[in-house]
Order: sequence, then C-alpha cells, then structure tokens
Amino acid sequence: MELPEIQLEQVTVSFEDRTVLTDITLTLNERRIGVIGANGAGKSTLSRLLNALVIPTSGTVRVGGLDTSKSAKQIRRDVGFVFQNPANQIIMPLVADDIAFGLKNIGLSKSERKVRVAQTLDELNIGHLADRESHTLSGGEQQMVALAAVIAMQPRTIVFDEPTTMLDLRNRLRFQREIAQLPQRAIVITHDLEILEDFDRVLVVTDGIIAFDGQPADAVDHYRQWSHV
Amino acid sequence: MIAGLNTSYLAKLPAGLKFGALLIVSIGLYLIGSWQILSVLLILSVIVLLSARVNLRQLRMPLVTLLLILGIVFVSLGIQTTWDSALVSVLRLLTMCMFAYAVSLTTTFDAMLELFQQVASPLRHVGANPAQISLGLSLAIRFIPELKRVYLEVREAQHARGLANNPLAVAVPLVIRSLRIAEDTAEALEARGYDSAEHSN
Repeated sequence: MELPEIQLEQVTVSFEDRTVLTDITLTLNERRIGVIGANGAGKSTLSRLLNALVIPTSGTVRVGGLDTSKSAKQIRRDVGFVFQNPANQIIMPLVADDIAFGLKNIGLSKSERKVRVAQTLDELNIGHLADRESHTLSGGEQQMVALAAVIAMQPRTIVFDEPTTMLDLRNRLRFQREIAQLPQRAIVITHDLEILEDFDRVLVVTDGIIAFDGQPADAVDHYRQWSHV
Repeated sequence: MIAGLNTSYLAKLPAGLKFGALLIVSIGLYLIGSWQILSVLLILSVIVLLSARVNLRQLRMPLVTLLLILGIVFVSLGIQTTWDSALVSVLRLLTMCMFAYAVSLTTTFDAMLELFQQVASPLRHVGANPAQISLGLSLAIRFIPELKRVYLEVREAQHARGLANNPLAVAVPLVIRSLRIAEDTAEALEARGYDSAEHSN
C-alpha cells in the first residue's frame, strides 16, 4: 500500500482569541507515528488537522498533495478517524448498519456495502457483532466497531485520538495488536506510552509546538523529563 | 425494538411490499365485525409471526405490556359498551399488532429508513429533506439508550453528593453532557464522510 505524504507548512490554529498550535511545519511519511503530550497541549487539534476536521487559521495541510481547506471530502476518504469515545462515533442503531453508513456516503451500492461490511467484520474477528444493537456493546466492542467502520472505508491513513483511554487492559492489548497489524499508516494520539514501543516516529507536543520529534524511546524520555518539571 | 438477523421468507420480501400489505390488512381488520373471523385471523397472524422465525425473547416484554394494555381496554370497553364489541376491538388490535411485529422484526432498520425516504420524497417539494429526517430518526433511536445511560450516571453522581431530590442538579449536567455528545456526533458524521450540503440537495 502506497502511503500519501502528509505535509504541514507553518500551520497555526486559533480558536477565538486562543492559539492552540503555533507555526508547525512537519512532513509525515512513516507508517507508525505517535503523538504524545500533556492535556491541552494541542494533540487533538493536530490530529483533527489531518482529515480536515480542523482547518488551519494560517498555513497549509496537504495529504497526498491535496489541501485540506479545499479537498476535505476527498481527504476524508483517505484519512479515517477513530475518536476517543467510540460511543459517540457509532451513529446507527445496529452495528452492520453503522459500518455501512460511511460506505453509503461514498456512494457504494447496497450489495457492495454488504460485501464490504462482512469482509471488514471478518478481518477484525467481530462478525458475531454484526446484528447487535450499538448501545448493548461493551467499551472494547464499541472501539472495535468504530475501527471497523473506519477500515471499511479503506483509507490509507488512520488517525486514532486516544483510542485506548476508555479500555481495560485486555481490550487495550487487543486494540494495540490490531493497530500493529494494520497495513495502513496509523497516527496515534495517546497517553499510553507502552503502545509506542515499535513505532517509527513519535512527536511530543507541548504548548502548541512540536517540542520533540524522533524515535519512541527518546521522545518518551523527553516527555517524562518535561512532565517532572 | 430493532430487527436482529432474520433470514426467513418474510425478511426476503421488499420492505415496501410488507408495510403496504400491513396497511391494507390493518384497514381490512376494521371492516370485520365478527369475533369468530377475527379469532381465525389472530391465529393466522401468530402463525405468520412464528413462521418468520423472529426472536421470541425479544418479543416477551413488548407482548406482556401489550396484553396488559389490551386487558385494560377490554374491561373498560366491556363496561362502557358490550362485552362482544370489547372482544372484537381487542382481537382486532391484537391481530394488527401481531402482523406489525412480524413485519417490523423481519425488516432491517436500514431498509425501513430507505422506505421512509422513498415515501417521504414528495416532502422535498415543501422544502423538507427526507434524507436528513431519516438520519435524524436513526440518531434519535441510536442515542435514546445513550442519554438514558448518561441520565443514570448523573443521577447516581448527584445521589452520592446528597442532591438526589434536586431536579436542577440532574438537569444541568444532563443537558451539558447531551450537548457534548451532540457535538462529538456531529464531528463523527463529518469525519465519516456525511455531507449535509450534499444531502440537502
């Protein structure tokens, strides 16, 4: 799978009079990228820039050469997003219908949707959840369904916003394994430092800037030192 | 109540056909005044329901509630009119409900929404948008249990703080958390490719 390059050029994001990210310039090419930092540092805003949920106040974000401020729809097909709380991401009352929701939005026929949903559920070994009502799922199951809904869209990049925060140890390990096996690029915003061990690159966000950019072990050391100050 | 996996002959029929037939049967039932014929039709509706292999466990609570309501209707009608006409009315309602269960439990939610969009498509001429209305319906069904869960959490938290009898102490956090859920869901809709501008055309 050829992965699209993600470029941020002098990106600043402000909400009303508060600047959340300041002058960020980055090129993301790696397959596994982690983003860590304190609460309110700007991690979630950074993640939302990547699939056009947030548009920069100044500067540009390009995914595979497409500008997020002009081609949001195309970019969202290529960059999936798994939210911190899967309960709010699951939109339809039934699991299979929820996974089909995004596919319907991109114009797949009913039969194509059916095949794609079954394939995705099989891929993640959650075929047994297909006919369950969404509100009856456990937290771990909800997170797997949210991931399935994103994978079904066949994006080349998936952004995870603190995906393991609401999971117990067993589900966290399962989810971690699933992320490791994904052929897609995974950009994981997390407080869970263990998950980053095998990553290619980790960014540390502090007060709206990239305070460190490098290998996981070095990034985690940097973050730990900063946290002790 | 949402239809689970059902592969019976009824599930294979188009939703429009099933709901159309249900409408005709419901009107037809009101033309029948004989309790004997209605009893036969009730037995037929139960056969249809059973042959559709619906999940009977899913039906248990709604059926108990329905029978309770019909019991009250039967007694009050019997006192006000005659016991014969009360029996006819109750048999009519029960038969209609059995057919309705057979249809709704063998039709997927997605198929119902599609049918709704087709039926409501003339509303476009008066500025309404069936696609958006059907999304609104599905979101309402999806999030009612979620809001109930949030309500119970808030009530429990306020109970722990000794504020169990203060409606405002429950209502304010409930509204704030509901708005937060709405905001997150709107963001998720956007992230999952839902284009409200496109759906409003």
